[in-house]
Amino acid sequence: MHAYTEKIREAAQRLLADKKVDGVIGFRQGTIPMMSEPVFIRHADQVHQLTWNGFCGVNLANYLVKRKDRVAVVAKGCDSRNIVLQLQENQIRRDQLYILGAPCHGMVDRRKVWAFLKGRDPLQATEDGDSLRVSGRDFEEVVDRQAFLQDNCRICTHRNPVIYDELLGDPVPEQAGVDRYEDVRRVEAMGSEERWRYFEDLIASCIRCYACRNACPMCYCPTCFVDESRPQWVGKTLDPTDTRTFHLLRAIHMAGRCTDCGACERACPMGIAVRQFTKKLEKDIKELYGYEAGVVPEGRPPLDTYRPDDPQDFIK
Amino acid sequence: MNSWEPKIIAFLCNWCSYGAADLAGVSRLQYPVNIRVIRVPCSGRINPKFILAAFRHGADGVWVSGCHPGDCHYIEGNYYARRKFAVVKSLLEHTGLEPGRLHFSWISSAEASKFAETAREVVEAVRAVGPARHFIKTKPMWDDIEAPLKAACQAEVG
Amino acid sequence: MLTIFVPKDKLPGLIGRIMDGARVFAPVRDGDGYRFRLLDRPDKADFTYQNTRLSPKELIHPPAETMFSYSLKKGDPKEGILEEVPKALGKRVVWGIRPCDAKAFQLVDINFITDQVVDPWWQKRRQATVLVGLGCAEPCNTCFCTSVGTGPFDRSALDVLMTELAEGYLLEAVTDAGEALLAGAPEGAPASGSTLSEARSVAEKAEKSLPRLFVPEPLKEKPMTELFQAAFWEEVQFACINCGTCTFLCPTCWCFDIQDEVHHQEGVRLRLWDSCMFPLFTLHGSGHNPRSQKLQRVRQRFMHKFKYYVDKYGNGPACVGCGRCVQYCPVNIDIRRVAGMMTASCVCPT
Repeated sequence: MHAYTEKIREAAQRLLADKKVDGVIGFRQGTIPMMSEPVFIRHADQVHQLTWNGFCGVNLANYLVKRKDRVAVVAKGCDSRNIVLQLQENQIRRDQLYILGAPCHGMVDRRKVWAFLKGRDPLQATEDGDSLRVSGRDFEEVVDRQAFLQDNCRICTHRNPVIYDELLGDPVPEQAGVDRYEDVRRVEAMGSEERWRYFEDLIASCIRCYACRNACPMCYCPTCFVDESRPQWVGKTLDPTDTRTFHLLRAIHMAGRCTDCGACERACPMGIAVRQFTKKLEKDIKELYGYEAGVVPEGRPPLDTYRPDDPQDFIK
Repeated sequence: MNSWEPKIIAFLCNWCSYGAADLAGVSRLQYPVNIRVIRVPCSGRINPKFILAAFRHGADGVWVSGCHPGDCHYIEGNYYARRKFAVVKSLLEHTGLEPGRLHFSWISSAEASKFAETAREVVEAVRAVGPARHFIKTKPMWDDIEAPLKAACQAEVG
Repeated sequence: MLTIFVPKDKLPGLIGRIMDGARVFAPVRDGDGYRFRLLDRPDKADFTYQNTRLSPKELIHPPAETMFSYSLKKGDPKEGILEEVPKALGKRVVWGIRPCDAKAFQLVDINFITDQVVDPWWQKRRQATVLVGLGCAEPCNTCFCTSVGTGPFDRSALDVLMTELAEGYLLEAVTDAGEALLAGAPEGAPASGSTLSEARSVAEKAEKSLPRLFVPEPLKEKPMTELFQAAFWEEVQFACINCGTCTFLCPTCWCFDIQDEVHHQEGVRLRLWDSCMFPLFTLHGSGHNPRSQKLQRVRQRFMHKFKYYVDKYGNGPACVGCGRCVQYCPVNIDIRRVAGMMTASCVCPT
């Protein structure tokens, strides 16, 4: 069992008993391999359900927006950054939250494991330090866990929570020498037409289910631009222009707010690399305004503020 | 193709750039006729949706112009707009919009000659890129599940 | 009915011949998954797949479909008149569909082809389609077809059942349309007794690997309000992020939205997949929303599948156990678990 599990249970027990919170948001054992299910624990007798492993990829900040009660929440580095943003954007108050910070070793991307297994059906997956053991009806594979992390976890530079009330373990060393924008630069090096085609291919299989939008902890507008009808900014068919309009506008709404938690890509049923849009914005914001989303609780998000001497070479 | 003339949507802020366009007109300054002006209260009013909507409707170019930094009628509208424009332009061009289609400028209501000159620059830049080829929204005709199928469907339907 | 054996290397020839007279759709490798695609070459079909990511419902009920077009031009004699848009409704064959996905078509038929109302395009596409099923020799761990009244070799919704054997495929016609498809195929040979028994043992082995996880039948007798008000919905709904993946991938989710798009002086009326997971799905013009809460929407999906459909049509449940929603739900809401909770308090027949 993962070392955090006991600590999460102990903290949940204590917080519920002391009536510090109305509930605890964490994970419980999933029903299929490599999945853990977000759960809301209200009573001390349910605390044993809480668990922790490398399959807790869901961003629990998703469950905080506009809550009325007081909750404890288990937060990885990315979750904590989303909480910071939600606090800045007044989606929840700090005094409603008790944050159990979980220094994170990266989450396993089950789709990568599926691809590795080439059609063999995993029945069980367990972790042991740096290795991942996956077994099925007539096979067992032990692989290096690091090679099967979510793409965003592999380039994560904020594994430790940036805001918390208690930590579940010692801070983990942040990944050094990470090149966050290798893929963005590769696209930047292309010609205009080639880039157009690159993104055309990227979103070709989009079925416009909006799972990427709905999975995002920062998407909480009462009416999404997609659902506006007067005027209608974007059509709802699979028309490539509409699909591109949707992805561009979704990304632009994330400018300076995206923590690269990977929730959108986790949710996409078609496996589209939608982070290709938001990562470019993240890189621009960093270069232009020196800002990283959700890292500093003070101050305003970059598009909600300005400096008189902001760069403006592109303006005539 | 010689008969093609670029169609450009210009979003001009009410207090500065629109005034400049007005002054250019009264002063009988010549500038190309390719721009269609849409007056907005402030460059800060520009939502990225507007820019995309113009391209979706077939505009060959989009030009957004507002007051100089420090001169905004609403004190700081154009400062916020500037950050928004930077990321929107960058993302659109990163995803394949040709540089030369999307332009921004600061023009005060006294700068009629800058307005006429910028209009010429914008039109020439868009002319150099040519007619819009991407991002034009057309009537959706969907039958079966995928675009490559279209040919098959049409063959069958006749 | 006609039963033939086709060696593995001759199957593309058989499919190729059928492609001359019909559009043939088959599972094709698509990115890191599979999807039903129109074949332009018979060897593109890949029958090693377990299941496609999107269900083949898109072949009969496309994600986006232009139904009508109209003109808004003043003085146009056709101004304001909805005209049906021509569609490709000619003969088509779906080759290699899983029996569960085919069963889903039957369940949706009951809703789209009733005594009072018929969905013309669903009906016409269904009538134009011959289904060649591929028996599921190795069901996934997320499969639960046997719990919801179908099975890995259920032939009840198929025209032909294909079973993969060591050396080739056994093709058994189930309907007249299936028989017509196979009749006189030079690629095939009459099936020998040993081939038939090999196929039987493949099917039996598959069925044995899928024990029933829950028994939905008693839900019929359960009072609807009791299920509706059950306490467990609170727990079930928590993790849901209303992403809608389950409904988009589901072979029996048939709900759609109708939208108009106007371009200059002409317009089209479209039918698009919709999802009961979205608040907009039930938003009234008045602004009232009867399902504004996540709990209501999550409950709706399960109640519709296991209770409302069953009560309304005396059939079902409206789930075929393909397991897509279990596999792709980003937060691990498991319909098998929910169905188990719904049936738990039922008195099951022994």
